[in-house]
Amino acid sequence: MQENRTIRLFRHGPTAEFRLVVLVVLSLSLLVVDARWRALDPARQAISVVLYPFQRLVLAPRDLVENFNNWMDAATVARAEKEALQKQRIELAQIATHAAQLSAENEQLRRLLKVADTVSQPSVAVEVMYEPPNAFVHHLIFNKGTSDGIRAGMPVIDEGGVVGQIVRVTPFTSEAALLTDDTVSIPVQVLRNGLRLIAFGGNVSGRVEVRYLTANADIHAGDTLVTSGIGGLFPAGLSVAKIEKVERDSATGFARALATPLSHPERYRHFLVLRVDVSRMPSPTSDPEAQAHGSQPAQ
Amino acid sequence: MVRSPHSESTRRPSGASPLSALQPIDASPFRQPAHPLFVWSTVLLAWLISFLPWRDWLAAPDILLLVIAFWCLNEPQRVSMFTAFIFGLSMDVQDAGLLGEKALAYTLVAYGAVALARRLHRFGAVIQAIHLLPVFVFSAMATHLIHAWLAGEWGGWQWLWSALFTAVLWPVADILLHMPQRRLDETDHRGAV
Repeated sequence: MQENRTIRLFRHGPTAEFRLVVLVVLSLSLLVVDARWRALDPARQAISVVLYPFQRLVLAPRDLVENFNNWMDAATVARAEKEALQKQRIELAQIATHAAQLSAENEQLRRLLKVADTVSQPSVAVEVMYEPPNAFVHHLIFNKGTSDGIRAGMPVIDEGGVVGQIVRVTPFTSEAALLTDDTVSIPVQVLRNGLRLIAFGGNVSGRVEVRYLTANADIHAGDTLVTSGIGGLFPAGLSVAKIEKVERDSATGFARALATPLSHPERYRHFLVLRVDVSRMPSPTSDPEAQAHGSQPAQ
Repeated sequence: MVRSPHSESTRRPSGASPLSALQPIDASPFRQPAHPLFVWSTVLLAWLISFLPWRDWLAAPDILLLVIAFWCLNEPQRVSMFTAFIFGLSMDVQDAGLLGEKALAYTLVAYGAVALARRLHRFGAVIQAIHLLPVFVFSAMATHLIHAWLAGEWGGWQWLWSALFTAVLWPVADILLHMPQRRLDETDHRGAV
């Protein structure tokens, strides 16, 4: 009442109902466009860049506490890690000798078969910034983005194997869909017999699924799935999941297998993004259907 | 929790107008509008708090929505449906959801608060919370139904708890956000009796 401003006798501007209708229509169109096409990504990136300093600011105390804890535990952790590493080194030494022999043999065989050599991938180490609280998707937000060479479509791995795939990038952050998310599908093969399949996430939470197997497909519980390299995005030979059970459905004549991912995105904070060449990927805007299924040409 | 910072600094200087001497006749506990700085700092604080990882629990109350709804009801000149829309959009980006999801929910709640304003001002905070519970539930339900239609998946029922907790926190928000404007007369009076 005592505010130093002119008293308004009449309310100006549009009515509340009109504003409601305008804003609701705006949000509905945003929703529909964002669910179907990628047209809004620049807007999202712009908002994300604005949010970034605030996110860092708010998460700073948490990072500080974590760093402090790490520093306090450093001696204990280092000792434990040293022991584990020493043990691992002995184990690896054996495997390494074996692997060197095998790779020499493999190279020779490849030369004989005139197969192009596989190249090692450049990669970026990233750290989880936060996990978005979203009931619908299981994504991770990493602390590096296009400025570090990350592009949408690149695979994310940890020491267990494939974790997921980058689905969205902003200049300073990137968003990865986990293996178990329904937007990701990965061309895989069974390590035991080379059977080529496509692993999908989504239907069963926390599991990867292999659908439309013929009923007599040679696949059993305990088989390991590794990436087959078909499709060009995931380099061949990364472990993906272990088959848990195979369900054979006599009604459809197809079988499906459920597999547990071998990576552990929930345990650690550091991951590796493989900087594969995503330029060969079909443009997401040209084919919304392919884009909706993890941009795998091997669909 | 939402704190109420600088309660002293946001208090309006008493005796700014000669008319202030007439005020004790007025029985309503708060007449002065909230300081704009206080309004915006509480909204920003709630916004920043929403970046923290405690919302990983899907049934967590939406503090930002609560604060925005509160100011839409009590300071409609400053915090409007448009504010709610913009903050909702920023939360969509933060949560990596579809753009417009939270924006729609926040706009609907803001409208609910504005539309029920004349009625709500007659009641205390608890009755206001009971009135606003269906508003929170409806806005969350609309968002979840639209998401289910667009993405073909149902996000579970945790949001019902979230709406309930948000409504339960309304009286707390009422106490905290009205604190700087509460007049000293009341406490003086109580001290004298």
